[in-house]
This record gives sequence, structure tokens and C-alpha cells, in this order.
Amino acid sequence: MKPLVIGLGNDLMGDDAIGILAARSLKEQVATRADVVESALHGVALLDIFIGYRRAIIIDAIHTGTRPPGSILDIDPATLEATVSPSPHFSGLPELQTIARELGLDFPKDVRIVAVEVSGAFEIGRPISPAVAEALVPLVERVKRLLADWEKKPETEAS
Amino acid sequence: MSRHVTIDPITRLEGHGKIDILLNDSGGVDRAYFQVPEVRGFERFAQGRPAEDMPQITPRICGVCPMAHHMAATKTLDNLYHVDPPVSARKIREMVYSTFYVEDHALHFFFLGGPDFVVGPTAPKAERNILGVLGKVGKEVGLEVIGVRKQLRELITLASGKVIHPVFGLPGGVSKVLTKDDQQKFIAGAKHAVEFGKFCLKAFDDLVLKNKEYVDLITSDGYTHKTYYMGLVDKNNKINFYDGDLRVVDPDGKEYVKFPAGKYLDHIAEHVEPWSFMKFSYLKNVGWKGFSDGPQSGIMAVAPLARLNAAAGMATPIAQEAYEKYFSTLGGKPVHFTLATHWARLIELVYAAERMLELANDPDILNPDVRTIPTATPDEGIGVVEAPRGTLFHHYKTDARGIITQANLIVATQNNSARISLSVDKAARTLIKNGKADDGILNMVEMAFRAYDPCNGCATHALPGKMPLVVRIYDADHQLVQEIRRD
Repeated sequence: MKPLVIGLGNDLMGDDAIGILAARSLKEQVATRADVVESALHGVALLDIFIGYRRAIIIDAIHTGTRPPGSILDIDPATLEATVSPSPHFSGLPELQTIARELGLDFPKDVRIVAVEVSGAFEIGRPISPAVAEALVPLVERVKRLLADWEKKPETEAS
Repeated sequence: MSRHVTIDPITRLEGHGKIDILLNDSGGVDRAYFQVPEVRGFERFAQGRPAEDMPQITPRICGVCPMAHHMAATKTLDNLYHVDPPVSARKIREMVYSTFYVEDHALHFFFLGGPDFVVGPTAPKAERNILGVLGKVGKEVGLEVIGVRKQLRELITLASGKVIHPVFGLPGGVSKVLTKDDQQKFIAGAKHAVEFGKFCLKAFDDLVLKNKEYVDLITSDGYTHKTYYMGLVDKNNKINFYDGDLRVVDPDGKEYVKFPAGKYLDHIAEHVEPWSFMKFSYLKNVGWKGFSDGPQSGIMAVAPLARLNAAAGMATPIAQEAYEKYFSTLGGKPVHFTLATHWARLIELVYAAERMLELANDPDILNPDVRTIPTATPDEGIGVVEAPRGTLFHHYKTDARGIITQANLIVATQNNSARISLSVDKAARTLIKNGKADDGILNMVEMAFRAYDPCNGCATHALPGKMPLVVRIYDADHQLVQEIRRD
């Protein structure tokens, strides 16, 4: 089964576009090897997209303020804390995984997150910053390497 | 010198979703404000772009209610190009919009209101989340919510290309003719939605209304504000999400004014405070009288609570029955209880489902004449819809080629922002004494948040995707003296 690659973000809001731009680039390059999706959704509304996949890669922007913009990070989903939020718009991956587990939904067992540190300036129509734009090519390469690693490893081993 | 409390429910967006509470010298609350996200930069972004792109661009502002922006933009283009869509197009649009409403309201009741009412306001914090809701209502219900939403979202895709970025509304009509097969799918989905809506009302009855403690909470003073209410109504003054006139009722429930969207600038003004980048909508002809409620204050509310108050009833039978029960249970019209919004939302869900079914059965939706081609020269257009979170206005001015020279959006959360500030202010006054904030303030603010659902969707959603709440109290010398936080 093909893995899911999902680029998250908003291509109208400065650096938040990076996940979307990566997905667009990957769509052209890895169409036969993965289902590539771009989405502006977040929280619980993302649940539907993951259902039915065994493996998934999430590409997103991250703003920690502790690294230079454009830094690429591999995030271990296990280190993300469950979100307690006043709004479901901000439900995070751990909560989605828990909901899926509780309901017995077919959620990917292997989820990787590749994120790009962004500058934190978001405004409609703001262009992507040069440092983050430069991360696009290495970001896409990173995702392709993850896909290649999976291809060497049968799904049963992965999950 | 006054002191400062900050509650910061922010992701990473500067200035977004911030709560400021100013204390006086004696440690009491001077005033409290809630700053909700606003659509920054849109006006400049829109200038110089073809107006025809707006139904595709504006949904991308917001990942939460793309269909509401798409529909508001499409209606604004009708107005801009002076074109009336054929009846088939109007009905198809409203049917698709009703479909969107059911799935959006369903998500919110179970995933948002659920923690407060299904699990219960006094339940331990650790259980007050979606897992607690699933534990209480059962997994089957959780699967049903996911199942019905999936079916409805597939229908939206069928009619509009994409759920997230619809390519469906055009000036003067819609892009696609529906087939008989499409119609059958909509009828099946609508029937499912109506049954689901009836189930939701029964669940609310069993889990909330039969529990006196919950009803007492809904009707408690801490969540009560006597404001004006605004919503779209049809020619019989019944709620309509897609079209109609805006009706405003006063805090006694009497009609204050009714006006078409095109006249919105005559009735709605935006108050600006020096401490906030966001604007507060209010009724221009009542006037801005500060953050206070009552008939003398122009503060108004939008969204489900307001729509039920502003209308004379619901246009479909099951929803009308629920509407009557709602007002008789809560002491008559208007209902001023913020937390009643959750119940109002379910009544609207049933209406949307019933309306969807009516329209799906209407032979007009199969009429292939789905577009009137615009021929007039564009100049200025104003459009309105009821977004799930309240009245949404789009307003564009263009040159003769249809290139935007000026654009304005008034989003639902902005229309509600003054009343949200009232709620935050009341929570602060109730729970901050002698300069100390009780931990309960987080709960109280969160409960009000969940009812209004101030939409942070215009914001981005980048990792870590958290929305921590932090209350900070500063003394007169701006030294931090207390911090309460929930990450």
C-alpha cells in the first residue's frame, strides 16, 4: 500500500506555505510511490485523511523560536504532548491517534513528521521568507529519503 | 496605577487570542478584554486581483469554514456583476451550504460542546476532552459522527469539487449541473442527516436537560449578557443561513431593525480600542457605550444563540418543535445565556438537515440552467451568509474590468468580539479577588470560548498545534506575581 504524504499549511500566509509547497513539489516527483495531499485543515478535521493508510509523513511548519528559520527537523510523534486546548481546531496528532485507537479506526501505525522552523510572521499575502524558501529542496529530499527507506522495509516490519 | 493580568491562549500568532485583564489598585478588576484573531492583510492582498478569484482565494484564508467564505464571496460576485442566479443555482447552493452546516455543527457539538455538557462541567479536567465524550456516549456514537460527516463531505465534493477549496460558486450561478444520480445521493445523505439530528437532540435531552445541575449552569448569571442579536432571516422571519435580510432584535426580543446586506454600513460600525489591533462590531445607531450590555449599549451577538433570538422561528417542522421547546425551557425569548449556544447549535443542525432534504427533493435542482452569464460592468458588491460561527460579510469594489480596488471582510468572530469580551470580563470579575486569579478562571473562560467558538482558523495551524492558556498577573511595577497555566 502506498504511504500518505500530507503537506499542511496555508499558502497565503508567509512561511506557513512551506508544507503546501513541499507537497506540490512531491506530487510531481513521487506520484507513483505515495498519495500526496495538501491541506489547510487542522485538528479533528484531519482525521478522515489518515484513515486507511499504514504509513504517513506529515510536512508542516514549526515555530519554536529556538532555531534559525529554515532548519529542518524530524519530529518523533511520540514526543508530542497530548493537546488540551479550548478549541478542537488545535487538536494535535496524539489526540487524533487516541481517537482513532478508541474508535478502532484504521489509522497509520507509522507516522513521521518533518517540519521546517519558520519565522513566525504570518499575514495574508506575505511572501515566504528567503531562509524558509531555501529549505524547500532539502525538505523534499528528506521526504523522498524517508519514502525510499520505507520501500526497502516491508510494511509488516514497519508496523 | 493599574495592574495587568494576561491570559494568553495563543499558538504562535502574535497578538492573537490574547486576553488582557487590568486590575485596579485594590486588586479588583478594572476591565478585561479578549482579542480574537482578525483577518490581517486581506485588504492589501485583494487589491489588484480579479474579483472572480475571490471565491477560490477567500476559502484559503480559513481552514475551518472554507465553504462559508466561498459562498459569501460568490454572493458578493452576484451583487458585483448585477446578476441574479437562476432558481436552480440558488437552490443547489443552499443545499450544498446546508450540507456543510450539518457536518460543521456536528463536529462542534461532539468535539467542542461535549467536554462541557456530555462529560459534565464538574468532571475532572482529564476527562473533559473528546475521549471523555466517547466514554460517555459510546463508541458507536463516535463512529456515527465520523460516518455522517464523511458522507456529507463526499456530497459536498460531488457538487463542488473540493470541500476545502470549493470550485463551485460562480457569479450568476454554479459550475455544475446535478444528475439524477447525484440527487439520489443527496436525498440519502439528507435522510441520514435528519436522523442524526434527531439523535443529537435526544442526546442533549438525556444528557443535559435531564440534569438540573447542567441547566442551572446554562442559566447562571456568570454566562448571561443582555445584548442585541443579529441573524439572517427569510421573508417570514425564519432562520436562513444562505440568504435573506439581517434582522436585529433588542435585549427584550423586539425587532430593532431589519435591513438587506447592502446596507450593512448604515447599521454596523467597528469600534477600535488603542490597546487592540482588532475591531469590535456594534450597532451604529444604538452607539458604542463601552463594554456593557443592556438596551443602551450597541453590543450585539451573532451565531446560533443570536440567530434563534433574531428569528421568529425555524422553517422546518422538527427544528421548529425543538425551537419552541428551547424557549419554553429557558424562560422565553430572547435567551441571553451564552452556554445555551450549544443547544441552539443542535436545533440549527436539525434545520440544516431538514432543509437539505427539502432541497434535495426539489425538482428544480435538476434544471440544467444553472447560470446567468453576467453582462453588466462590475463596480461594487456586498454579500452576506450566516457562517456557522455567525454573520459573515464580504464587500468588494472594483474597476470596470473587475479588478479589486478595495475589499473588506467582516468575519463572524469580529461580529461577536464585543460580547466575547463581556464574557471574559464577567469571568474575571467573578474569579479575581484581591489581585489573585482563581484557577477556575481558566475553566470559565474556556467554557465561554467553546460556546462562541471564536474562530482561530484564519490563523495558521503550524506545529506544535497547541493552544495553551496562561494567566499572568503583574503588580503595579510590572513584576510577575502569579502565573496559572494550562499547556
